Amino acid sequence: MAFEPKNEQKELKYEELRIYTDEELNNYTEEELKNFKFKHDVPDLDDLEKGPWPSFVSDAKQEALHRHKLADDRLMTAKDSVDDLMGALQLSFDDGETHWKHGGIVGVFGYGGGVIGRYSDVPEKFPGVTHFHTMRVNQTSSKFYDTDFLRSLADLWEYRGSGILNMHGSTGDIVFLGTTTDQLEPIFYDLTHELGVDLGGSGSNLRTPSCCVGKARCEYACIDTQDLCYEMTQFYQDELHRPMFPYKFKFKFDGCPNGCVASIARSDMSFIGTWRDDIRIDQEAVKAYIAGESAPNAGAHGGRDWGKFDIQKEVIDLCPTNCMCYEDGELKIDNSECTRCMHCINVMPKALRPGKDTGVTILCGAKAPILEGAQMATMIVPFMKAEAPYDNIKELIEKVWDWWMEEGKNRERLGELIQRFSLPRFLDIMELPPAPQMVKEPRSNPYIFWKEEDVKGGWNRDINDYRSRHKR
Amino acid sequence: MEDFKKAILEHAEGSKKTKFYFKDLEKAVKKTYPDAKSRMIKKAATELVNEGTLIYYSTGSSTMYGLKGRGITEDH
Amino acid sequence: MALSTGKLGSYNPDKPQEGRETDLGPRHFWQYFPPVIQNNYGKWAYHDILEPGIIVHVSETGDKVFTVRCGGARFMSSELIREVCEVADKHCDGYVRFTTRNNIEFMTDSSDKLENLKQDLQSRKFVSGSYKFPIGGTGAGVTNIVHTQGYIHCHTPATDASSMVKAVMDEVFGHFTGMELPAKVRISMACCLNMCGAVHCSDIALLGYHRKPPIVDHEVIDAICEIPLAVSSCPVGAISPAKTEDGKKTVKIKDERCMFCGNCYTMCPALPLSDKEGDGVTILAGGKLSNRISMPKFSKVVVPWVPNNFPRFPEVVENVKKILNAYANDANKYERLGDWAERIGWEKYFEKCDIPFTEHLIDDYRLAYDTFRTSTQFKFTQAAWDVSKAAGGIE
Repeated sequence: MAFEPKNEQKELKYEELRIYTDEELNNYTEEELKNFKFKHDVPDLDDLEKGPWPSFVSDAKQEALHRHKLADDRLMTAKDSVDDLMGALQLSFDDGETHWKHGGIVGVFGYGGGVIGRYSDVPEKFPGVTHFHTMRVNQTSSKFYDTDFLRSLADLWEYRGSGILNMHGSTGDIVFLGTTTDQLEPIFYDLTHELGVDLGGSGSNLRTPSCCVGKARCEYACIDTQDLCYEMTQFYQDELHRPMFPYKFKFKFDGCPNGCVASIARSDMSFIGTWRDDIRIDQEAVKAYIAGESAPNAGAHGGRDWGKFDIQKEVIDLCPTNCMCYEDGELKIDNSECTRCMHCINVMPKALRPGKDTGVTILCGAKAPILEGAQMATMIVPFMKAEAPYDNIKELIEKVWDWWMEEGKNRERLGELIQRFSLPRFLDIMELPPAPQMVKEPRSNPYIFWKEEDVKGGWNRDINDYRSRHKR
Repeated sequence: MEDFKKAILEHAEGSKKTKFYFKDLEKAVKKTYPDAKSRMIKKAATELVNEGTLIYYSTGSSTMYGLKGRGITEDH
Repeated sequence: MALSTGKLGSYNPDKPQEGRETDLGPRHFWQYFPPVIQNNYGKWAYHDILEPGIIVHVSETGDKVFTVRCGGARFMSSELIREVCEVADKHCDGYVRFTTRNNIEFMTDSSDKLENLKQDLQSRKFVSGSYKFPIGGTGAGVTNIVHTQGYIHCHTPATDASSMVKAVMDEVFGHFTGMELPAKVRISMACCLNMCGAVHCSDIALLGYHRKPPIVDHEVIDAICEIPLAVSSCPVGAISPAKTEDGKKTVKIKDERCMFCGNCYTMCPALPLSDKEGDGVTILAGGKLSNRISMPKFSKVVVPWVPNNFPRFPEVVENVKKILNAYANDANKYERLGDWAERIGWEKYFEKCDIPFTEHLIDDYRLAYDTFRTSTQFKFTQAAWDVSKAAGGIE
């Protein structure tokens, strides 16, 4: 199957888009790089060039040298912004304190997010980073790119910003680190007009949705995570750019309960692919695992000798519901007892596959610790089909938003609002019946806040009637 | 829509504060127009932003609306 | 079609609305799938990790895609992006992918091209000697550390991120390029308790922490901040309006209520809270996100605080290694760090990791009681004998 984008997609050709010539891009020698020193003394950073893991300091040096050697009019921001960034980092090490200030007014016109103002509090020492704003650029679903796009992005960002970026930030965006206020609009113009890509979310907006690799390259994916992510991002562009929420709101889309994009811990609404029919079993492939012909867990434990694969010990005994057995040369699964934890499938991917009747489990309310402590998402909808155009999912999302916008306090995440109102009230508002699947166990205190309508005869009683049976 | 915009501006200009959460604007509009829908109020606020009367003020984690020219508005 | 040049490029500040394009969203994903991915979308049958960092996915059509996973530093220069592109153009028909954990994935559809790709990636080093594209991060090992901005670009960090990640990954590099642990270990890092990186469900979480409330810059606060904003920014209501002795508007802070989040500093630069002696790192362990075998769970605080010892954070590294070593030696195959700790009991966990248990590790925030042991079931370790001695009755 193929997917068609909703908007017309400009085909990007780096050769047409590029800013720098090949000569400009190859403007230093390895010898020069070896001898290169930042303009500030940075002993701690020099130390971070050692060791096998990729050194961000060494990387920064490449960029700094490259910038130094470009002609003055070939950079629209400070030539030595990377030097100054590294100098400021060293000063922060010396002081044990950051040297960045926040600033809230900068942005591109008409958007309430996507740009985060940043200023140095030592501009006289590091003039190249006096203004050093962040821009978030909406990543592609699952972060696949081609080199035409990436090279164009690199030219744009080097020319109009520091040349330093994050691939990617925590929420999922490509993060441009450091530009000046006057460059924000020109960058936005080129991003939209030339590269056909938009800013991501920040502030009290829908944050940039993100998803796992999904069906593009994973046999476990139960849903089209990329398509769902793309559709929701496009459909809710207004919510992403123009704030109306009490606080931030995140969606993330995981293709299966392994949860590679961590939606269960990091999103106000977490969509996790699942299935409701039976795990598919290839009995011959099971035998191949038992015979040692296939490496368990796709070879993930290949670095150590764990001994011969033992299906009883490694699969059946570790099943959290004890719903499997190996009898008469066949692996049997009692699917009605299965909680779809993925362990058996992870251990024997050649033999076991998720079912075919797939959809999403929807969980609500995850967030980082401030204020009531970290929360994981609570299971609200056990199963929902997830097929384009996803109207059922959109309907549910908007119901949640309507309630949160109505009742949520400023800076109150969905998970906190559910806590404040109580899960039963949330379910009531969502018009969903309560189910034991929503809790780990029933409450152990009996302090049920009965409502008047729950109790036969109501609460309004006649004292005289009572007194007719009981003396004062 | 114009009514909502007027209500937002009246609230903003009459307040000691210079930055407002969306909820503050919403409340102000709903005081006069109790049946106003949040999405319409947001559209009104968006129009005010597009006209240059209101500006966004973002802390990165949350976003507020401000009156252009009042309070902290300069790029410092 | 060309990227614009000149100070303002194609943007006309006199007519900012003219021809403005907004609400485009991201580029569509389909065009960035290499042909082998497009052709086999939704048809993948199984995968195998051929060696650390090298994965083959096999399709029902018989097609294969080989993926080489490389560690990346998240912090990346345009220059390095261009080198990524060079590799992708040379070996992967111009396609490349990044993972949620800041790894870079190069894909190819044949095993011949795979060998060249691997060799090319391994040969690329920075002039200082560190790998540009270390191969690994798969299976039962330590993959890349997801992290936040730190001193590179944040206004409220209690520590630095890039340097700590570099320091830790250098020391556990063998676990990135190898797969000899009992299960995967996910290390995450966030610079303050706002946790942009949401590290709270990681096998090992490294968390920057402030320990001093903000200082009030009474002289300028009324001029550079909007006091009501600063007051309302505090999640615990510890900030209230006040006047200085000479009648200037300012705020006062109930220090004992402060939870050191820095939200007030975000709103008001006259309330800085960073401090060399105050700031440091808290280490949490035993969380997980996956639903595999056991349910997802939070990480627990196992080291209340170690100092920021830039640039190599020896105390952080030492604790991470202690935890990893004890886990590697003691856990069962497939057992995640938190599941191991629960099986042996947290009392044994502290003994085996050789990490002291201190009063700060006992919860005293809300719902603390849920973490207390209300049972006679426990294991005797030295910590238990120390209590018994203190209580009296044994030598």
